Amino acid sequence: MENKKMCMALFSGSLDKLTAAGVIMSGAVADDMDIDVYVLMQGARAFLKDIAENKDQLNMSENVEYREQFIAACKDLNVKEWHQFFMEAKEIGNVKFHICGLAGKLWGGNKIEDFVEWADDIVGISEYITAAQNADIHLFI
Amino acid sequence: METTNLMTIVAEKTVDARGTACPGPLLEAKKAIGILEIGQIMEVLSADEGTRVDIPKWCTKQGHEYLGTLEENGYYKIFLRKN
Repeated sequence: MENKKMCMALFSGSLDKLTAAGVIMSGAVADDMDIDVYVLMQGARAFLKDIAENKDQLNMSENVEYREQFIAACKDLNVKEWHQFFMEAKEIGNVKFHICGLAGKLWGGNKIEDFVEWADDIVGISEYITAAQNADIHLFI
Repeated sequence: METTNLMTIVAEKTVDARGTACPGPLLEAKKAIGILEIGQIMEVLSADEGTRVDIPKWCTKQGHEYLGTLEENGYYKIFLRKN
């Protein structure tokens, strides 16, 4: 039987939404879903090599005054960092990270080498639309 | 399965995920189930309330048999059989 498909438009480059995306992704790979993540706008900034593992470069999506509390609580609860969730999901399941070509350029990322090594490719919008059309679950985060 | 029966189970694999919050235990279970033979039993140790609900549902979706949960001192022992 063919695996179910999840398509995720990852618009956000915020710590909390990236973490939420990682948690959702983990649940989906546990269920053997194939996942295609399309990294848009500020999401592409978070995927830059120099940014991804540097929390100082990433903020909360809202209520920024809770940023330190969020980070401290995640540490206390042994919650993985967002990029660790993403990498683990890729290790366990069929997960692909596609960077939007335009979004990458906004932040100076022109080639796939400019992004984290676990990013798969740079794509155009048509790929995302096709994946969204064919997905069992589609999320915009 | 009744509690008394659960207490007699000797699992072939123990996944101790007490140090992680959701979705850590579920992912640990997912990784570990691959190394079990069909028919073997795994126990997942978790202090996470969400996991207590998640694992039985995951078993149903994945076709494994959820055997039951024992409440220990501050954590749960969740038993399942690989199918």
